[in-house]
Amino acid sequence: MILFLRTVLGRAYPRLIGIQREKSWLIFGVFLPLLGVSAYVFIYKALKSPPEFVGFVILGGAMTAYWLNVLWSMATQFYWEKETGNLQLYLMAPTSRMAILMGMAFGGLVSTSIRAAAILIVGSLIFSVHFTVVSWWQLILVFLFTMVALYGLGMLFSSLFLLFGREAWHLSSLLQEPIYFLSGFYFPIKSLGYWVSIGASIVPITLGLDAMRQLVMPSAKWGFLSVDEELGILLVMSIVFVFVAHRALLYMENLARREGRLTIRGQ
Amino acid sequence: MSHSWAIETENLVRIYKVKHKRGDAESAPFKALDGVNSQVGTGELFGLLGPNGAGKTTLIKILTTLLLPTSGTARVDGVDVAANPQEVRRRINMVSGGDTCGYGLLTVEENLWMFTQFYGLDNKTARERIGKMLEIVGLQDKAKSKSYQLSTGQKQKMNFARGFLNDPKILFLDEPTLGLDVQTSRVLRKFVKQWVRERPGRTLLLTTHYMAEADELCDRVAIINQGKILACDTPANLKKRLQGASVFKLHVTPLEQTELFSDLPGVSNFSGHRRNGHTELNFILDDENTLVKILSAVQQSGAHLISLDKHEPTLEDVFIDLVGKSLSEIEEQTGSVS
Amino acid sequence: MHESARSLKVAAWLGWQIESNWTEPFLFLTYSILKPVASALILVFMYLVISQGNFNNPLFAYIYVGNAFFIYVGAVLLGVSNTIVDDREHYGMLKYIYVSPIQVYFYLLGRGMAKTMTATIAVVITLAFGAIALGVRPDFFTIDWPLLIITLTVGLAGLGFMGILLAGILLITARHNDIVGEAVAGALYLLCGAVFPISVMPDWLQWAGRAIPITYWLEGLRRALLGTELVQKLHTGLEDFSTPTILLILLGSTLLAILLSIGFYRWCERRAKEKGLIDMQTMY
Repeated sequence: MILFLRTVLGRAYPRLIGIQREKSWLIFGVFLPLLGVSAYVFIYKALKSPPEFVGFVILGGAMTAYWLNVLWSMATQFYWEKETGNLQLYLMAPTSRMAILMGMAFGGLVSTSIRAAAILIVGSLIFSVHFTVVSWWQLILVFLFTMVALYGLGMLFSSLFLLFGREAWHLSSLLQEPIYFLSGFYFPIKSLGYWVSIGASIVPITLGLDAMRQLVMPSAKWGFLSVDEELGILLVMSIVFVFVAHRALLYMENLARREGRLTIRGQ
Repeated sequence: MSHSWAIETENLVRIYKVKHKRGDAESAPFKALDGVNSQVGTGELFGLLGPNGAGKTTLIKILTTLLLPTSGTARVDGVDVAANPQEVRRRINMVSGGDTCGYGLLTVEENLWMFTQFYGLDNKTARERIGKMLEIVGLQDKAKSKSYQLSTGQKQKMNFARGFLNDPKILFLDEPTLGLDVQTSRVLRKFVKQWVRERPGRTLLLTTHYMAEADELCDRVAIINQGKILACDTPANLKKRLQGASVFKLHVTPLEQTELFSDLPGVSNFSGHRRNGHTELNFILDDENTLVKILSAVQQSGAHLISLDKHEPTLEDVFIDLVGKSLSEIEEQTGSVS
Repeated sequence: MHESARSLKVAAWLGWQIESNWTEPFLFLTYSILKPVASALILVFMYLVISQGNFNNPLFAYIYVGNAFFIYVGAVLLGVSNTIVDDREHYGMLKYIYVSPIQVYFYLLGRGMAKTMTATIAVVITLAFGAIALGVRPDFFTIDWPLLIITLTVGLAGLGFMGILLAGILLITARHNDIVGEAVAGALYLLCGAVFPISVMPDWLQWAGRAIPITYWLEGLRRALLGTELVQKLHTGLEDFSTPTILLILLGSTLLAILLSIGFYRWCERRAKEKGLIDMQTMY
């Protein structure tokens, strides 16, 4: 257990120190993405839509930060580590792969949360969005379960990507916009219809975001399922994803070792 | 007239600013090259010999237009590397020995072909040269393999082959045999020698920290340490510095204190360091009779003699004579930054 | 000149190998279709929830076309600039590229050309999807073809040189490549009014938008495809500019981008050589 925690801290350290030493990420990681999210706000403004839609975009825009972090700093990270030759060092170490991934997640979570918070706070100030929280504890639980399930999914991806070379990068890239669309980052998921929304709910952010929108903007009647139902599903997803990711990591590592794909570089 | 030299440097200085940790705005300058003056003649196979961190790679980076000098000038084939890099690039090529780079998804042949195109070779000449070079480095059967499928050694060989494709007027080889097996190193060394001999007007600058490699290959060798050229001559002439001196190598059981040996009368130069569980002592003696005193000092220090060897001076001994330490001793002390 | 043409040709070949070789053609196509169509669908559904399914509003066509052509912005800017990071850190080849007698500008542009080709597939697919599924159907005979071709060509060249500006920055900084590209493209998406008329933004942001060549490029393309009159009627914030003026501004700003990028890249190159960054590896 201590080894596990040490590993988490050890792997999180370079990420945290990186944030501190390379201040330029504040521009690229916080300010410029805020501008990107604003573009979607102006679409609604151009369409003269009701004000709650601006709130949808701000909240969705804040959550994109987490999806990007899962894709680029978790799912594809083992691919980068493989390219730089670090992966073999991690795998040789007598520690848990989950711990290494959790270290990455935790390290990434700090900068991602700053980015998300900046989008949320600055965005709602600039565009005068008023959030009214219906239930704080539900909101916190939804956010927590969404994060656990989401990073569990990220770990599952990274185990799959362990086998891949450059495809991992492209697959992550492929998962970016389609998930923005399917999870309804910029519009209420309900508009996609029942079955598409159910299908899209495999990505935890879909239901998490829908529940959070219901909890902070109760006047907008665009909820997909009730908050309680969404909370229940998210809880189940958190457990399942983390468990499956754990098994998949072990399985894929063995497979990759058998097929000699752990050290292929420069693809 | 500078044009008679293939490579010429005048008071070349390169200072790196090493930034310290946060809060410490001060940056400590590190002098990688400290007033290097050198001339390499056309057709020469010139060696730069020195430990890791001596400044060899920095010098090569400046000569190959990758790095600007802090002060001083460097000319390659009469062209100033700082003022006219493009003109220099048309005349040179470079291979870094340890490199295993390449576009992994291109085949070996495609990787090499791409570079022939950067040098404007027509397809027929390009194919011929690629074929010939692959044969020399023993990669013919890998020509169609994607380069990510190659072993580390094979990637190094591919990179070596790349350096010769444009038949450069001046070629820079930075530690070309680093990490390669003995057999391959031998083949490549033979080829390098042949390449310079058979092609009049071609010049080769080689950096190495293998003494034997420099001795075997080079027409002239410059010994470089801490950014300064300490001596520059043919290997034979360098070794002549030690003419009349006796050179001994002793292996003794581990010794903590070795400084006492340098104070013994008759010892012109000395270096000692731990190696493989024993202590190696290298002596350059003005008078062979000093050996008796040395052996007695070994005995007094409580160590036992394992072996004693008298040999003709090598470049290693020249290095010890110039620097006061052996090359491997310096590398052990400083780590390896180049 | 010979060296320039050679650099461009080989770099475009290499770029294409890298772009197309990574997987099966089937996946490659899926990738070229899914990503852009998904981006378009985000807009479609945003529009749908507000308009209750009325796609006949010309504002929708305006948004849709802008979004389709914006695909080029990310692709060309990043295709050119990420070459530096890719060659330096991923393939370890930048130093050897630099030692060879190529023209680096043309090499970078060549690498960007491969991305332009894949982006063209995505743009065409997005426009075709709009025409088939959403009724964004510009009349083939009323399209202003000369305007379309001139605007597209000049704009793409301008984007390439703006990519060189970004490449200069990447040459002297550590690897944040994913985040930098994403962020710059995201900011331009807003400022250039890729998916809305800039007139809906506050004045100061409108002025920022008017200072960026891509804004005029998108306006020119929209006018060529949808008709100048229709676009001007939407009060996009650029309705006072005549089409020749738009074209002139685009040409002028592209020339400026060329001059700026060459000067700036030279400066960055010099900095990189002074600091020994050409073969740097970002280790975190």
